[in-house]
Amino acid sequence: MLTLLRRYGTLVGFAAILIFFWVSLPDTFMTARNWLNISQQMSMLIVVASGMTIVMVMGDFDLSVGSMASLAGIVAAILFTFDYPIWAAVSVALLVGLAGGAVNGLLISFVGILPFVATLATLTMLSGVAFVVSGGKTISGRAIPESFGNFAREGIALGDWGGVAVSLPNLTIVAIVVVALVWVLLEQTTFGRRLYAIGGNIEAAHLSGVAVRRLKLIAFSLTGGTAALAGIMYASRVASSNPTQGSGLMLNAIAAVFLGSTLSEHGEPRLLYTIVGVLVLGVLDNGLTQLSVDSYVRQILVGGIILLAVSTSSYARRLN
Amino acid sequence: MTLLSLKDVTKAYGGVPALKGVDLSIAPGEIHALMGENGAGKSTLIKILAGVVHPDTADIRIDEHRVEIGSPRQAHRLGLRFIHQEFNVVPALSVAENIFMGRTYPMRGGLFVDWRRLNLAARDTLSRLGICHIDPSRSQGSLSLGDQMLVRISSAFIGEDGAPARLYVLDEPTAALNRSESERLFSVLRELRGSGASVLYVSHRLDEVMAICDMATVVRDGRSIDTGRIADITHDDLVTLMIGRKVEEAYPPALVAPGADTVLSAKDLAVRGGGRMSFAVRAGEVLGIAGIANAGQRNLLRTLFGDLPSHGGSITLAGERYRPRSPADAWRAGVGYIPRERRSEGLITSRPIFENITLPHLAAQSSWKIWLTPWREKRVSAQQGELVRLKASGPGQRVRELSGGNQQKVVFAKALLGKPRLLLLDEPTRGVDVGAKFDIYSLIRDMAARGMGVVLVSSDLPELIGMADRIAVMRDGAVTDIVAARGLDEERLLNLCYGRATG
Repeated sequence: MLTLLRRYGTLVGFAAILIFFWVSLPDTFMTARNWLNISQQMSMLIVVASGMTIVMVMGDFDLSVGSMASLAGIVAAILFTFDYPIWAAVSVALLVGLAGGAVNGLLISFVGILPFVATLATLTMLSGVAFVVSGGKTISGRAIPESFGNFAREGIALGDWGGVAVSLPNLTIVAIVVVALVWVLLEQTTFGRRLYAIGGNIEAAHLSGVAVRRLKLIAFSLTGGTAALAGIMYASRVASSNPTQGSGLMLNAIAAVFLGSTLSEHGEPRLLYTIVGVLVLGVLDNGLTQLSVDSYVRQILVGGIILLAVSTSSYARRLN
Repeated sequence: MTLLSLKDVTKAYGGVPALKGVDLSIAPGEIHALMGENGAGKSTLIKILAGVVHPDTADIRIDEHRVEIGSPRQAHRLGLRFIHQEFNVVPALSVAENIFMGRTYPMRGGLFVDWRRLNLAARDTLSRLGICHIDPSRSQGSLSLGDQMLVRISSAFIGEDGAPARLYVLDEPTAALNRSESERLFSVLRELRGSGASVLYVSHRLDEVMAICDMATVVRDGRSIDTGRIADITHDDLVTLMIGRKVEEAYPPALVAPGADTVLSAKDLAVRGGGRMSFAVRAGEVLGIAGIANAGQRNLLRTLFGDLPSHGGSITLAGERYRPRSPADAWRAGVGYIPRERRSEGLITSRPIFENITLPHLAAQSSWKIWLTPWREKRVSAQQGELVRLKASGPGQRVRELSGGNQQKVVFAKALLGKPRLLLLDEPTRGVDVGAKFDIYSLIRDMAARGMGVVLVSSDLPELIGMADRIAVMRDGAVTDIVAARGLDEERLLNLCYGRATG
């Protein structure tokens, strides 16, 4: 019973939230269009949370993902103003993400700074860099190629659904691809297995021949890369870029991983559960917005629900 | 006259009986051994005494008055003191502060702590127990584990809140101590006994129990089997009582004589904090490493395993130059390692058995070194489990659900996968009960018979003499003597460890 509560408490809560919104918003909530909309709204968070899961599997976390997303958006936009082709600008922005993540990894594994301190420092620095290179201004308008902005608005048509034409947004497709890749990486490869070993017992992993430092470096680089990708997606979605665009992503991503880890048998982060965590946050946001609940009240509710889920889970674990 | 008596203590966890009827009676001024294999019910009994677990039925009397122990606080008020392996001490504070923790410190002017008087009082307490080598102003964390335990006992000794200590309960106190530290502990326990207090002493180590205890109670399968005076009982009787059958030999005989090939040879090797040494391990040979604590055994093993850089000299493994720069290099070269701390160094207890066993060998146990093949890993792990006689529900079981002995077998299964050429063992039977110990010894014999070279570091001298072909004695970071184990007696080995001249 307790085990059930611990493992499925969050799912039951999620179901309750779904039913509540379904009843309160009978016409608009449970529709294909709304769900595709949620998936698009959530796509950036899904990408960042997937990357966050990679480092949280090792028991670390990365506070700098939000600034990294902002910076990547700015880098891409600035390259657009110099008439670089889209592929080049996007590639450079992604490389900036990988490099920034690698810096985090170096600080944590080779210099030996705690992830909290190291990524807090890089959070501040990356954010500063984003302001400096953008001059603190939003880059938008003609500088941004039309097809870059259109990418986020387009999708694959799914045909009619109850008389309404719906399509699978491109951003959602990107998110699904990222989830698939990260899932394969964490669950199907020796790399992922070793990350879980590090998270379980770093000393035993080291003595079992796991190259802890090198793996941490790679993992943080990947997290930086996903953050940059999310920043590019964001820039495409609003066809503009400003140096604070990504700031909300970090807390939500960590919250999603924690929320998801309440579902796993041993409380460790797992990617698919993280996605459930993102969905919980996304559905809450979507439903409460439709009910025109004030956004500050929304923050209070979301924070409360995270606390409730995590404390129920750890309380049940203790009773066990 | 009895200080503490327990009658008919029973306890079941969710319908599974842990204690089916235990009687125990301790007289004042007595060191009483509580013995039994892991899972016999010792820890449940201690938890009941400590007020952490509530018995289903029990008649507990102190000074012949019936009492109930409802909480740890109550146990404390009754004069029961528990000294665990995880001491409740603050490493950053001084010894004196730790001894007087929770009590009023002597003050100066009602505002400042009078450190001089605090240190004097601490020194006085320590010397009353015959402990003169610990400076009370040193920080607790700078002491050895053994000395930390002595400080903990001293703290319990002076009593708190006006409740004098009557009975000290020590659970496996020497598990992390070396021989000289253990000796100190024993002399303190004798001091305590002299002061009229009693000690309930829980240990696997029979020779210790024979040396310092007056009485022994043996529990098996949740029942107290027998209680008797230590003077009237032999070592073998105790083992028979504990495991319920006769054990012929403590150490299985060697299956083969060491071969001619050299597996490992170290020439002028220097490890961190030590001088140069040369030694060799032949195929099928068990080379024991003896020494007092911190004589360099651990640094030697870690150097051979690539976890510490060597400070000079050379090593060859199976005829080839061997220079491991990381544990990964060592595993690749065919060196298996059993670390000293099973839980913190050897296992990822939250993960399944098979993931633990294949972790050092993932490159070989996957496709293209990248793709996991769990079905293959499980099959291989089940075979390894059979090899080490692992008792588990299957390779997917989480390691944390296993008993201590079976966890250690997982560590062995991991080290033995891929048929290593050299096996490095650091205290492989520490905290393992008698039955599992024998399994582990047999396994070491098996491996030697297959031509592996074995390096066995142990602080248990009978174990070294019983298992090793030759014993290398380490002093101050280097091997100083290498002697044949056959015919060696403990006293001579101890003298070698201390560097004393032998007659």
